[in-house]
Amino acid sequence: MKIEKQAAESTLTLAIIGRLDTTTAPELEAELNACLAPVQDLIFDLQDLEYISSAGLRVILKAQKVMNKKGSMKLVHVNDSVMEVFDITGFADILTIE
Amino acid sequence: MTYDFLTVFLLVCATLLPVAPAVVLYLLERKTPFGKIKYWKRQLVAGLLFGGVAILATEFGIPVQGAVLNVRNAAPLTAGLLFGGPAGILAGAIGGVYRWIATFWGAGEFSRLACSIACILAGLFGAGCRKFMFDNKKAAWFYGLAIGCTTEVLHMLLLFLTNMDDIYTSYTIVAICAPPMIACCGISVMLSLFFVALVGKQNGEKRTHTRQISQIFQLLLLICVVTAFVATNLFTNVLQTRIADKNASSLLSLNLADVKKDVSEASDANLLKITKSVAAKVSLAATREELTALLTEYNVAGINLVDENGIIRESTRPDFVGFDMASGAQSAEFLCLLHGQQSYVQSYQPLSGDSSVSRKYAGIAFADGGFVQVGYNAEQFQSDVADEVRLAVKNRHIGQTGGIIVCDENLTIISDNAGHTGETAIDRNDVKDIEAQPGTKFTANVGGVNSYCIYDVSEGFFLIATIPVTEAMFSRDIAVTVFAFMEIIVFAALFVHVYFLLKKLVVDNIHKINRSLAQITGGDLNVQVNVRENEEFASLSDDINSTVDTLKHYIAEAESRIDRELEFARQIQRSSLPSVFPPYPDRKDFAIYASMDAAKEVGGDFYDFYMPDSAHLVFLVADVSGKGIPGALFMMRSKTLLKNLAETGIEIDKVFTEANDALSENNDAEMFVTAWMGRLDLESGVLEYVNAGHNPPLIRHAGGTFTYLRTRPNFILAGMEGTRYKKHELQLSAGDEIFLYTDGVTEAANKENRLYGEERLEKVLSDSASDPKLLCAAVRADVDEFVQDADQSDDITMLCVKFNADAQTAELAFLPDQNSMEAVTDFLTEKLEEWEVPPKVANRAQVAADEICSNIVYYSGAKNVQIALLYSKEKLTLTFTDDGTPYDPTAARDPDVTLSAEEREIGGLGIFMVKKMASSVAYRNQNEKNILSVTLDIAK
Repeated sequence: MKIEKQAAESTLTLAIIGRLDTTTAPELEAELNACLAPVQDLIFDLQDLEYISSAGLRVILKAQKVMNKKGSMKLVHVNDSVMEVFDITGFADILTIE
Repeated sequence: MTYDFLTVFLLVCATLLPVAPAVVLYLLERKTPFGKIKYWKRQLVAGLLFGGVAILATEFGIPVQGAVLNVRNAAPLTAGLLFGGPAGILAGAIGGVYRWIATFWGAGEFSRLACSIACILAGLFGAGCRKFMFDNKKAAWFYGLAIGCTTEVLHMLLLFLTNMDDIYTSYTIVAICAPPMIACCGISVMLSLFFVALVGKQNGEKRTHTRQISQIFQLLLLICVVTAFVATNLFTNVLQTRIADKNASSLLSLNLADVKKDVSEASDANLLKITKSVAAKVSLAATREELTALLTEYNVAGINLVDENGIIRESTRPDFVGFDMASGAQSAEFLCLLHGQQSYVQSYQPLSGDSSVSRKYAGIAFADGGFVQVGYNAEQFQSDVADEVRLAVKNRHIGQTGGIIVCDENLTIISDNAGHTGETAIDRNDVKDIEAQPGTKFTANVGGVNSYCIYDVSEGFFLIATIPVTEAMFSRDIAVTVFAFMEIIVFAALFVHVYFLLKKLVVDNIHKINRSLAQITGGDLNVQVNVRENEEFASLSDDINSTVDTLKHYIAEAESRIDRELEFARQIQRSSLPSVFPPYPDRKDFAIYASMDAAKEVGGDFYDFYMPDSAHLVFLVADVSGKGIPGALFMMRSKTLLKNLAETGIEIDKVFTEANDALSENNDAEMFVTAWMGRLDLESGVLEYVNAGHNPPLIRHAGGTFTYLRTRPNFILAGMEGTRYKKHELQLSAGDEIFLYTDGVTEAANKENRLYGEERLEKVLSDSASDPKLLCAAVRADVDEFVQDADQSDDITMLCVKFNADAQTAELAFLPDQNSMEAVTDFLTEKLEEWEVPPKVANRAQVAADEICSNIVYYSGAKNVQIALLYSKEKLTLTFTDDGTPYDPTAARDPDVTLSAEEREIGGLGIFMVKKMASSVAYRNQNEKNILSVTLDIAK
C-alpha cells in the first residue's frame, strides 16, 4: 500500500494505492495519527484502492469519528469492489462518499 | 525248606510294607501342593518316612528256624531310587542306627553289625544308583529287582565277613535267610518302582520302538554277566563237590583202615596165643582124641597137624587128613612154616579144603618139622575180640558227627559211637550198592541222616565208616555260597562300571552331538559340535563341523544367487509399473499418484493407469494371489492383458470380462487376481468403475471427508471362465479424490498381530492434505508407525486420483507469525493473477483471506495454518485449515450495520463481510482442526 498526501491549508487529501487490509491498515492509522491534528477537511481518494478489509474499515471509521468532531471527511473515487464492502457493512450510510 | 501259611503271609506283608508309602508319597508329590515345597524339605519327609518303614521292618521280624527274616533294606533303597539321594541316605542311616541299638531290646546280636551296615549301604546304593545310573529319573522296575537282590546279597556276605570266627553259624543263618530275604527285598523294590511308574505314567512319555544304545548294551552286558556268573558257579560247584567228595572218601577210608587193622591185630594176637598154648601141648604124633580134647579145652573150631611134607597128618576133621596144603591158595600160605618161619596168622577166609566154611587159622612150627594149625570160626573169635573192637570204634569220630559202625553179617550194630547197639545200621533194601566192593563210597540213610559210607569186612565184622552228607559238603556249600554272593557283588559292580564307561564315553557324547545337530537342523548353522573326549568323537565332531561349514558356504552362495535373481525380477516388475510422477505434467484436470512396496523382493500387487484418449483416464489396482516369482509372472500377464484391452477403448466391464476369460484359460497354477478399475471421463466427471473382488476404495468429495465406496464386488479375475462383470457409475466434481489400495494396507500387522484396519485408514486419509502424493505418503507413514518394527507381511500398494475438472488448485501452509498476513496476500495475488481470476472475485477472495487469516493468526493460537485454493469456471473455493481453538465463525451473531459511526464496533464485521460476499461459507471441526470453506461464485 502506498499513501500519497496532498495538503492544502486545512484540507488533507490522502490517496490510498493498493490494498488496505490487516497488514497495511496500521500504516494508515499511524499516518493519520501523525498528521490529522491541523486538518479540518479530510479527503480519501480511493481510486487506486484494490480492496479494503475490516482492518481498513476500522481505520476509516476511527478517522470519521475524529473528523465528525472538528470538520468533515469524505471519500472520493470509490470503485466497485470497495463500494461493495461499504454497502455490505452499512458504512455507505455513515460515510460521505462522492 | 517249607514255610507255614503264617510265615508266608508275614513275608508278603513285609514285602509290601515299603510299597504303599512309596506310591502315596509319589502321588502327593505329583498331584498336591506338597510337590511345590522346597526340595530339601521333601527329602527330609521322604527320608523320615522310609526310615520309619525300616524301623518297622526291624521290629516285626519273622522268626523261621531260629533265624529272623526281615525286609529292612527295601525301604532306604526305595527312598533313594524314587525320591532322591538325601532321602535314601537319611532312611538308610535311620534304619541302620536303629538296628544297632535295637539289640538292647531283643534284636539279634549275631547279625547286628552286618544288618546295620547293610541298611546304611542300602540307602547309599539307592542314592548313588539314582544319581549316577538313572540321571535322577525313576528307574525301571527290573532295575529295582536287580538292585534289591544285590543289596540283600551284600547283606548276607556282610554276615560272613563280620563273623569269620563262626562260619558254621553264619552259614546256618544265611542258608535259612538268604532265599526269602533276597527275593522279598528285590520284589519289594521292584513293586514300588512298578506301581509308581503305573500311577505316574506321564502323557508326554516317549514310547519309542527303537531301543537306545545303552539299553541294548545293558541287555547284552546283562546276558554276558549272567552267563559268566552261571558258568563260574557251576564250575566252582563241580570242583568243590569233587574235592569234598574226595576228602570224605579218604577220611572214611583212613578211619576204616585204622579200625580194620586194630581188629585184625587183636584177633591175630588172640589166636596166636591160643595156638602157642596148643602147640605146647601136642606133638606131630598126637592122636585125634587128644586133638578133640584140646578143641574143647580152648574152644576152637579145628586143629590140624601138618607134617614136614605139607600133608595133613591128623585133624579134628577126619576128611582133612591127607590133604596137601600146597593144593589150595589159602592152605599154601602156611607152607612158610616149613621153611623156617615160626608162626603165621591168617585172616578170616574160606578154606581151601572146604570152601563152604570160613575160618581164621594160625600156625606154629614144631622144632622137629611140621606144624600145628588152630582155626577159629567167626563166632569164636568175635566173642574173643569183641571188647577190643568195641573200644576201637566207640571213641572214634569221623568229622563232627560221623563215625565207624561195627555190624555183624546182618548189619545189626555191634558197636558205634552213639550207643545204637542192636539196631540195624543200614537198610539193605535202601542201598543196593552195599553189595559193592568194600572200600567204595556209597550214600545211605544212617540213623535217619543221609550219609556217605564206606564199608569193609574184617574178621567177619562189617565195619562201616559214615559221615553225614551235609557235614561232608559243608565246606563246599560255604565256599560255593560265599563265592556266589561275592560274584553277584563283583558282577553287579562290573555291570555298573562298564555301563558307566559306555555311558560316559559313548552315549553321553552321542547325546551331546545330537543336541548340537538338533540346533543345526533347527536352522542355527553357527553351532559347533565340540566333543573331544576321545579321538573318534573328536574326528566325528570335526567332520560334522566341516560338513556344516561347507553347507553354510553353499547356502550362502545359493542365497546370494537367488537374491540377485529376485532383485532382477523386482527391477523388471518395478520398471513395468509407471513410476514417473506426475505422469501427465501438462494435465491440470487431474492428479494421480501411486506406489507399490513389495514385501518380498517381488510382489503380486500392481497398479496401472493410462489414457486411451485425451478425455479418459483409466486406473486400477490389483492383487495377485501368490507372491514371489510365480506371483510376479502372473501379475505381468494380468497387467499386460488389462492394459491392452483397456487401451482399445472398450467399456471397462468388457475389459474385465475378456481379461477374466483369457486369464482363466490354462490357469494351471490356480492363481487369481482381485482388481478395481476406474475409468474417469475428464470432461463430464463421470467415473465408471468395476470391482473384481477387491477392497472398496475411499472417496472424498471436495471439502468433505473420505468414505468407503462400497458396491457389491464381482467375482475375482481368473477364478472362473464366463464370469460377468458389472460396471457402476459415480459423478465426480472438481476437487474430488479417490484412493485405491490393496489389503497390504488394511491388513498390515504389528508385533501383537493386530491389523491396521479400515477405520484407521479412513481416519488418516480424512486428516490428510488434499493431494494424491501427500495422501499416499501419509498413509504409508501411518502404516509404518502402526506396525513399528514388525516385518512387512504383504505388498503395500496405493493409488490416488484427484479430479480437478478444469479447476486450478494451490495450497499454502504456514506457521503463524507477524509476517504471515503478507505471505498470504502475496500467495493469493500470485495465484489469482496466474489463473486470471476476474478482479472483482479476486478482491473478494483477498478480503475473505485477510479477514479469516487475521482471525486465525491473532486469536486462534494455531500452530499450523493451511490455505487451499480451488478455481474452476464456476467458482473459487478457499479452504482454511488451522489447529487453533475450535471456533465456528458462521455461528457468530451478525453485527448491526445500521448504527451511526459513533456507535459502531468494528468486531465481527470481517466475518459478516465474508458471509455476505461468498456464495457459501461452511465450517467443520475435524480431528481437532477448524476447517472453513469459502466459495465465491465467478458469475455473481
